[in-house]
Parts: sequence; structure tokens; C-alpha cells
Amino acid sequence: MSELLSSLLQDARIWQGHKHRKTTQPTESTGYQVLDNQLGGLGWPRGALSECLLDTCGIGELHLVLPLMQRVSAAGKTIFWLNPPHTPYAPALAREGVNLDHLVMINTRDQGDFLWTMENCLRSPVTGLVLAWPGQLASRDVRRLQLASEAGGNVCVLFRSRRFTEQNSPAALRLELAPGEHQELKVNIIKRRGSWPGQRCSVALGHRANLAVQDAPRVIHGRWPGAGR
Amino acid sequence: MLWLYLHFPHLLLDHVRRNQDASGALAIVDGAGQYVVQACPAARDLGISPGMRLKTALGLAPDLNILRADPKQEAWLLEDQARWLYHYAAHITLAPPDGLWAEISSLQKLYGGLPAIWQTVEQALTERQLTAWVAIGHTPQAARLLAHTGKGECTADKGHILTELGNLPLQAAGFDKKSCTRLQRLGLNTLGEVFALPAPELARRLSPELLAIIQKIQGTRADPKAPWQPPHTFRQRADFIQEVEHAQGLLFSLQRILAELEEDLCWRQQDTDTLLLVLQHRHEEPTRLRIRTTGPEHRAEVFLKLIQLKLDQQPLRAPVTGLVLAVKRFTGREAPGGQDLLGETQDLNEAWHTLISRLQARLGEQALRQLAPRDDHRPEQAWSAGEVRKPGKGQASTSALLPHRPLWLLNGPRPLEQTPVAWHSGPERISGGWWDGQRVHRDYYIAQLPGGELAWVFRDVHDGWFIHGWFG
Repeated sequence: MSELLSSLLQDARIWQGHKHRKTTQPTESTGYQVLDNQLGGLGWPRGALSECLLDTCGIGELHLVLPLMQRVSAAGKTIFWLNPPHTPYAPALAREGVNLDHLVMINTRDQGDFLWTMENCLRSPVTGLVLAWPGQLASRDVRRLQLASEAGGNVCVLFRSRRFTEQNSPAALRLELAPGEHQELKVNIIKRRGSWPGQRCSVALGHRANLAVQDAPRVIHGRWPGAGR
Repeated sequence: MLWLYLHFPHLLLDHVRRNQDASGALAIVDGAGQYVVQACPAARDLGISPGMRLKTALGLAPDLNILRADPKQEAWLLEDQARWLYHYAAHITLAPPDGLWAEISSLQKLYGGLPAIWQTVEQALTERQLTAWVAIGHTPQAARLLAHTGKGECTADKGHILTELGNLPLQAAGFDKKSCTRLQRLGLNTLGEVFALPAPELARRLSPELLAIIQKIQGTRADPKAPWQPPHTFRQRADFIQEVEHAQGLLFSLQRILAELEEDLCWRQQDTDTLLLVLQHRHEEPTRLRIRTTGPEHRAEVFLKLIQLKLDQQPLRAPVTGLVLAVKRFTGREAPGGQDLLGETQDLNEAWHTLISRLQARLGEQALRQLAPRDDHRPEQAWSAGEVRKPGKGQASTSALLPHRPLWLLNGPRPLEQTPVAWHSGPERISGGWWDGQRVHRDYYIAQLPGGELAWVFRDVHDGWFIHGWFG
């Protein structure tokens, strides 16, 4: 029996899950060691789409890409924000060290314009990072964007609703984001290239509201002296 | 001055026949559908000749293909011919309905003599499968008259040209019928005999207009021709005698049109990214297809592939009787890639401008915005959105002096509807705006909502609670 097994194992046609090949795709570190470790020491893939699936804004999703934004803007490349759901707040970005001169915000009227704009941004050599909030996207469109991204070699992060978790997607990296108890961000890797998915980790993002040092809420509840008077 | 005249005896016929290599006799009839105007060689073999009544023609050839002449279409066709001729000559004048003048004395040095010009034009005509009678004359009218006879020669000798003209019968001189009859009654039969008459007598006995025509032929009276300017759009049209039912059948003529577009774009040193293809049907509204490329493009094969894709996606609604390909938007050709002496910075600069201008062209200037902080305490006034400018070299003056703020600001405060599960910091009182009437008097807190998100909330003077931002 073991002879049979070993001869089978010799056979090159049998794929063995534990020996996955190291991918050589170019990547950009996320800036969070915990997440980088889970991503095989790599980070955001360049020349491929990444998807972040989340329910609501305000769970730290921008802080996840903030280190990359800082690096890209410092390198003089342009960051495009396509159809952001709210206004990116300039004073906060400036405080975090993002060079606002390299940031371009674009709002498109319809889906056709959106895809066209995104494709153009992805293909351009001046682009460093594209952040996009696409809403509904057909699988065909994602594939097309994926090709554009490969042509340009840029990092592109799509922020989509968690409803699309079950839908399959040609994106190279898919992260499901959920808020944790203590302002951290729980990341579930749904898909990544070159290895198994399913890793989970949580990234501490308490500092985004300047809460890193405070464990207990400092706001004092209760009756203010003299409030009743 | 020397003028070259191209006379297209059956332009519409040529135009139709090169779009569909259909066998069978073809005739063009006039607008009223009474008389045959042009007949193809196959039709002429059957005995059909221009000027024949349509009924007679149909009697001779029952399965004759008939196309009605359309003056508007003829004008377009003539303009098309001027467009390619413009590649060879600068000064072109249209002579509707079926002729073109080109001034060639200034081209002799460029091409190396008259025979070379003649040959170039003849070759261009053969390439385009066009029939044209060419002639050279020392005046525009002389060239035209000689071309109409179909016996134009490649010569610059004025004497020879005048002799040739002199041998022309009066009917070929283009006079109106009345003058022609009167001249014949005087016993004159050729143009040469009219040339020999003294000018004052001609004007007195016949008419000053007639004298003007004769002097223009001879070259003793000025006959200025305004140069034609090529339009800034591209428009080509193909008409089919037999209706095309499959998309495959359109590709043949599309190939030719796209090749001409490529040539046109190369010649202009321009690119385009939008083609408009209109398919005409007999009984239905025309189908309009917009073909967009991702980047500026000029190659015919790329356009053809895109059109094929588009036609595969959208099957034809009805048989097609004609198609029009139009290009209205052109962009300057980019310099070929590769590094210049100064390194790649120049190249990126160029690329940045190209990208932004492309985006602005399609989305409008207002769609692209650049953000900047502003000195104000009120959160909604503390930022501004301006037009996109090329970033300079200098680093932005980032400072930790700015207060701690959320990365998302809502477009307007939203009522807080859920009770926060935790309060993290606050209150931070912001009060201002008494100077410009937009008074703000709020206490800001950071709160965690039941969904887990961190919100920037405030309480205003009326004790209302609002969300103003998200810590994204």
C-alpha cells in the first residue's frame, strides 16, 4: 500500500497541497505587520485588483490603506479616489502625512463612465493607487478591470459591500472586514494568490481616533454638577 | 499658373461598386426616376446608355439594379475625393457636381516635373478604383473643358493647349444654349473660330457674360478660385445595392473605410478614441453604434476588431442599406514612448497631463477635484475642493498641529438615530462663524455605534445629536 502511495506521490500529475509555490508577483507592504504575515509576508498585490468587503464606513477601512497612501504620495505618484461615499476629509489626510497635491477625487455620473475612468486610471503610468467604491459590478467588468490593472501594474483597492462575499470574483486578493470589540479591524482573507485562504487576523486601529492609550472610556457619564439647577 | 482638373464621369457608380463586388448591371437614375444618368460597363454592354428612359432600360435589362441619384450624397462624395487629393496638392477647389481643380504649377519642383504629378494622381485613382478624366490647362476653365473631352494631355505648353481647345466643337464649350445657337447661326462651329473674333464686338453683339467665359478660357481675364479647406471631421459613407443581412457583409466596406481613416489620421498626426457607426435600414430608424477605444488609437485593425466585437454583441436589427462612419474627436498624437535625454520625469509629466485631460474631456471639469485643508475651526469650512493642478516638487507642509479629525466627513450632518455603545472622547467644543452668519456651536464626541463603527458625533445648541464623520 505504502509503495502504491509513494509511487503516486512521485507522479508529477498529483498536486500536493502543502507544497505551494512561492508567488513572485510584485506587492506593496500593507504597513501592518500582522496582516503582512497573514498574507505570506507580501501585502497588497501590484497589477491586480484587491477587494475589501465591508458593511459600513467608519470601521477603519481607510486606515488599512493609509500607510500605502503615505508611501505612494511621497513617491510622487497620483492617488485616485473614485466615487467615494463621503468626502475624504482634507485636514485629517494632511495630518496623517498624505500629500494632498497627489490626490485626485473623481465623481462619475454612471456606471459606463465609472468603468471607463477606472480603466484609464489603472493603465496610466502616473497612477500609484486607485481607491474605488463601485457598487454593483458585473463579473465581466471586474475581469476587464483586472486586465487593465495588470497592464498598469498599480495597486487598486475596491471597497464593496459584504453582500458580494459569496459572489466569486477575479480579484487577486479579497478581504472581508468587520469591526471588533476594541476598535480593531478583523480581517478575514477570502482569497489570495498562491496560497490557501481562510486566515484571520485583527489589526489594531484604535489610534485612528486617538484612543491607543485609553482602555476605559474617559467620558464621564452621569449628572453634571449643577445640571439640575 | 497651371491647373489640373479631375472630371469624375460616374462617381456614384464607382462609389457603389467598390463597396459591394456584386455582379450584375447597375444604373443610376435621376431624382425623379425618369432617366438613366449613369450606367456601369455591364449595363452598357446590354445597350443601356445615359439619357435613356428608365422604362426602355428596364425593357433591355429586366434585372437591372437601380439606384437613385441624391445631390447631397454626390456633394459628400466629391468632398471625399477632395480629401484624398489634398494629400497631394494644397490648393484645391471643388467644381460641383463632379469635378475638382488642383493648382499644380507650384508642385512641379516638389514632384520633379509634370509627368511625375500626373503619374501620382493616376496611381491614386487606380488605388481607389475610381474613374476620372484628367487634364491640364493654363486656366481653370481650359483644364475643365479639356477634361470633359476625356483627352487631356500632360503638357504645360500654352500654345498646344489653345490649339486643342480651338478644335473643340461649340457644344463642348459649356455656353448656354441660346448663345450656342446664335454662334452657330453666325457660321461658327469650333471654339477656335470664336477665339478669333474681336472681343468688343463679341460683347456688343452677343453678351458681356459670354465674353467673360471666353476670356476666362483663354486666360486674359482673372478667374480666382478660393482654396478648399479640409474639414476637421472624418466622415465616410458606403451604400449597398443589395441589402446586407449579416454583419459579416459589412466588414468588406468597413475595412476600406477604416484603412482610409488610418491614412487620414496618420496624415493629420492625430489619434482618436471614439468612432460613430451609423447603419441605415430601409424602413427603420438607423442603428447608431459608438465604438470607444481605451486609449488614443489610429490603427485600422484595432478599430475593425472593436467593431467586430460590437457587431457580435448586437446582431443587426434589420438589413442594412448603407453605413456611415464618422469621427469627430481627435487628439494629438503622443510622442512615441522611450526615455528622452532628461530622464523619465518628462514622460510622466506628459502622461499626467494626457490622463487628466482625457478624464476631464469625458467627465467634465467639475468631476475631478483636488482637496486642500483650510484655516477654519468649523469642520465643514476647514477644507476646500479646487481644480486639479499639477503637483509641484515641494513636499506638502504636513504637521501634527492640525487637530485630530476623522478621515470621512459626511456631506452634511446626519441625525444620530442609534444609541452609541461606547463614548471615547469629548467633548471638544467648536464655536465660531459669528462673523459670516454661518454660526456653529457644537460639542463633538467620538462614539462607537452598535454596528462597530467609530463616529464623530456632536450635540448642537438645541440638544440635537448628529453624526458628522466616520473614523474610516
